[in-house]
Amino acid sequence: MAANMRGLTQFIADIRGARVRELEEKRINKEMANIRKKFKDGNLDGYQKKKYVAKIIFTYILGYKVDIGHLEAVNLISSSKYSEKQIGYLAVTLLMHENSDFLRLVVNSIRKDLDENNEVHNCLALHAIANVGSSEMAEALAEDVHRLLISPTSMTFVKKKAALTLLRIYRKRPEVIPAAEWALRLVSLMDDQDLGVVLCVTSLIMALAQDHPDAYAVCYTKAVDRLHRIVIEHEYSGIYTYYKVPAPWLQVKLLRLLQYYPPTEDTTLKNVLNETLQIIMTSSAEPSRNVQHNNAQNAVLFEAISLAIHLDTRSPLVDTAAVLLARFISSKETNVRYLGLDTMAHLAARSDTLEPLKKHQGTIILSLRDKDISVRRRALDLLYSMCDIDNSELIVGELLRYLKVADYVLREEMVLKIAILTEKYACSYKWYVDTILQLISAAGDHVGEEVWYRVVQIVTNTEDLQEYAARVVFEYLKTPSAHESLVKVGGYILGEYGHLIANEPGYSPLEQFQALHSKSQFCVAPTRSLLLSTYIKWVNVFPEIKSQLINIFERYRHVLDAELQQRACEYYALACLPDDNEMLQNVCEEMPPFPPRVSGLTSRLNRKMADTEDKRTWIHGGREMNLEQQMTTLMRSKQAEVPVNESTTASGAADSTMFNALAGLNLTMPSEAGESGAIPRLTVGPSIDKWYKKLTYSAEGVLYEDVQIQIGIKSRFQGYLGQLAIYFGNKVSAPLTSFTSTVYVSDSEAISATFAKIPANILASRTQSQQLLQVECKKVFTAIPILTVSFLAGAHQSISIRLPITVTKFFEGVKFGQADFFERWKLIGGSPRESQVVFPIALDAAGHIDLPHNRRIVSGNHFEILDGIDPNPNNIVGAAVLHTSVDGKVGCLLRLEPNREAKLCRLTVRSTSEEVAAEVQRLMEAALRTE
Amino acid sequence: MCNFLEYKDTKVVYRRYASLFFVCGIGSGDNELIALEIIHRYVEVLDKYFGNVCELDLIFNFQKAYSILDELIIAGEMQESSKKSVLRVVTQADGVEEQENSDDLIGRLGGGRSG
Repeated sequence: MAANMRGLTQFIADIRGARVRELEEKRINKEMANIRKKFKDGNLDGYQKKKYVAKIIFTYILGYKVDIGHLEAVNLISSSKYSEKQIGYLAVTLLMHENSDFLRLVVNSIRKDLDENNEVHNCLALHAIANVGSSEMAEALAEDVHRLLISPTSMTFVKKKAALTLLRIYRKRPEVIPAAEWALRLVSLMDDQDLGVVLCVTSLIMALAQDHPDAYAVCYTKAVDRLHRIVIEHEYSGIYTYYKVPAPWLQVKLLRLLQYYPPTEDTTLKNVLNETLQIIMTSSAEPSRNVQHNNAQNAVLFEAISLAIHLDTRSPLVDTAAVLLARFISSKETNVRYLGLDTMAHLAARSDTLEPLKKHQGTIILSLRDKDISVRRRALDLLYSMCDIDNSELIVGELLRYLKVADYVLREEMVLKIAILTEKYACSYKWYVDTILQLISAAGDHVGEEVWYRVVQIVTNTEDLQEYAARVVFEYLKTPSAHESLVKVGGYILGEYGHLIANEPGYSPLEQFQALHSKSQFCVAPTRSLLLSTYIKWVNVFPEIKSQLINIFERYRHVLDAELQQRACEYYALACLPDDNEMLQNVCEEMPPFPPRVSGLTSRLNRKMADTEDKRTWIHGGREMNLEQQMTTLMRSKQAEVPVNESTTASGAADSTMFNALAGLNLTMPSEAGESGAIPRLTVGPSIDKWYKKLTYSAEGVLYEDVQIQIGIKSRFQGYLGQLAIYFGNKVSAPLTSFTSTVYVSDSEAISATFAKIPANILASRTQSQQLLQVECKKVFTAIPILTVSFLAGAHQSISIRLPITVTKFFEGVKFGQADFFERWKLIGGSPRESQVVFPIALDAAGHIDLPHNRRIVSGNHFEILDGIDPNPNNIVGAAVLHTSVDGKVGCLLRLEPNREAKLCRLTVRSTSEEVAAEVQRLMEAALRTE
Repeated sequence: MCNFLEYKDTKVVYRRYASLFFVCGIGSGDNELIALEIIHRYVEVLDKYFGNVCELDLIFNFQKAYSILDELIIAGEMQESSKKSVLRVVTQADGVEEQENSDDLIGRLGGGRSG
């Protein structure tokens, strides 16, 4: 341990020795006065400054206000000595508010420390940025931090800090980070050798991927691969096991990251993921005696269960999870009970069926009486989430009973939840009114305004309910301790519907009036105003108590409250009009139904979350509510993504004609394509097109080559299935790391392409690796799958090229005789099921039609060449059938008529599917045409 | 007792070691148990660094307690879970500090002689 500052130690000892608060304050005031004087005199050396600033920091930590030392702290930061810098930075991060003017002075010193070739100083600077995290720092320093993160010369411990500092910056000012542009480079760091770096980078990517899911899509494969390597391959260094659990922090992060993406459709990934989750669940079946081990293990387990629920609530994994959860909620460990209930609520929020949970309803209801408040809260949320039409009476009844003894902090939330459930799952009007009034009378102070507004809305809009509601609310009003919220509901409902029950014994106008008015004196002004409105309504329908009512208006005309006074005066005037005047009647017309509106209750419950905070993957409440929530988030992100398009469509007709005129030009900026991250931007080059073209009619060959890498293809197709062996060759004398290959398919309904296994992420020097790609043609497709390969070789490189997977690859040649052929040809007929085109072709060296070449292309596109059908030997006639797994088979015929003199060629394609005819024509033309 | 308390929109995760409470606040969707183990890892690192750590160590060396925390957590996220890696970086910084101190001493002695 480094030597300490003696003066500081003495100061701390003195303060600790102070017997009473006054002595402590005295000692501190003395010290602060001394320091102030020293600072004023100036001429202090680094050591002294450091010592005084340290004393100031200590005073600050004790809770005293300090207003000196800011400038000295700033000076210390630019010292060349580590220990002085450290104290300077500590003072800056503790003493200064993020908007402090002094911080402006620090930004440059921080940049200097970031750029310096000294890791220890780099780290201090990074800590300062992350701890202060001011907007200004984020803006000024994001680039420098990013550089430290991706620089190949950065030490691992600097990279880790840089990654998390960048995360801090992003959370503060997301717009200063070009998230989509940096995506591939950042994701490649998830392949780092050091699990510490992987952990930090994963944290960063988790935040970025939530806002830019498409740009960061590759991280899904990386996360699955890493989990697989940790959990199944046991590929980790010993220092990253925590009480025998391998890298729990990283596992938790990766499992969470996967929950921010929709479940993968890639079967390979799905299988690997299932296997991994299975192992996590079985291996944590037996708890050990060590608390730390259990905690770490369970942390991973609960995250794994959440992911399993997210992936598919009907999977056997979730069945296993449900069994585990049932055990957890009756565990002896309070933490485990808490998490068990929480995760069950997640299951309830997502699952199609609540049956497995209902088996444990009794235990869950008992948990409402757990000795720990946190557990009680979870039980409440779970009951709320698992409530449906069948168990609503039971659950709401339990909740109401519990409400009376519940902790005060819980009550308001409980009231809201009970109100929501009562409305949502009411099986009869009677039950709704009974329950909600019971709720209001039991919870009193904890009833928010929304709750009674909603009751009024529902009663007004439901005619069958009005009479019953009036009767019940009257009964409640007769009890001596009716709560003010109840008085409000009573006032409103009796005012509107009191006349419906006025003829029954015990409910006469006078009795209604007495019941309500006896509560008036205990109520606040706004409630009394409401009661005045009730009275004027009664003047209209109950002439027998008119004199009492006028009497009240008369008295209220002299109260001090302006609102009450005004109401009283107006109502008094209205009530005193002669009987034949229709004014009163018109004013007191029955309330029309409210327009249908969304309950204010739910929105109150789901408050908005901060933008860059990690989003919750689910909310409390049933399945519908979660689906709704997902829809709104989806809409919001969609809206955020297309502001450009919106502005162009909104800009009117004049502009759109201009756009049409320019339609031939590609107006979209290249950066935009990268921004959306959806469609990879193709790498261009003359050879690339040539290689691709050749592979469209041959089964094997080179797909891509540059100085570093060669990519070759061998393919086999059988029916609607195909297999591509893709060979990657590293041509340089260094390994290509973070080697990533992905296939992009824009129309996954029509064609699927998946790698048989997750590829290795390193391509050793001068070696070749092979990856198998499984392809299935489901329907006719026109969008060609795109292969994106990225790797680190010094800098980060990425190549995107089309894969030679065209619809003709799934063709199979068919033999026909002349008669058969023409019969079919005629049967299909002309346009639109015929597609025809004339285009220039090249002749061979001798100036003749290059028949062998043409035949190679036609048969390379899997057509059977039918000889002897066309009388002209230069012409080619072919037939084939397309195999698809969803749409079945489609026949296709073709005729090629080259003309030597004109150097032109006519191509006619006929197919029972227009789509096939057009696409085959396009493909064949592309292969045959000469430029 | 549950180690988690819900407070407004956040959760408080705490752990008690003798008379000392270690408390952290996490988001409502965060993993509670793993946060609990961050606390434990911090305590373990402190223990290893100070050798049977006690409250006084933290009071008299508060700047060290802060800098160790910085090695463990940045931006509220676990930075390094390996005890060894954390201690390596901390001792490296201590080394730099010691070197500076002895340089200082020599400088001051040299200065004294000439003055």
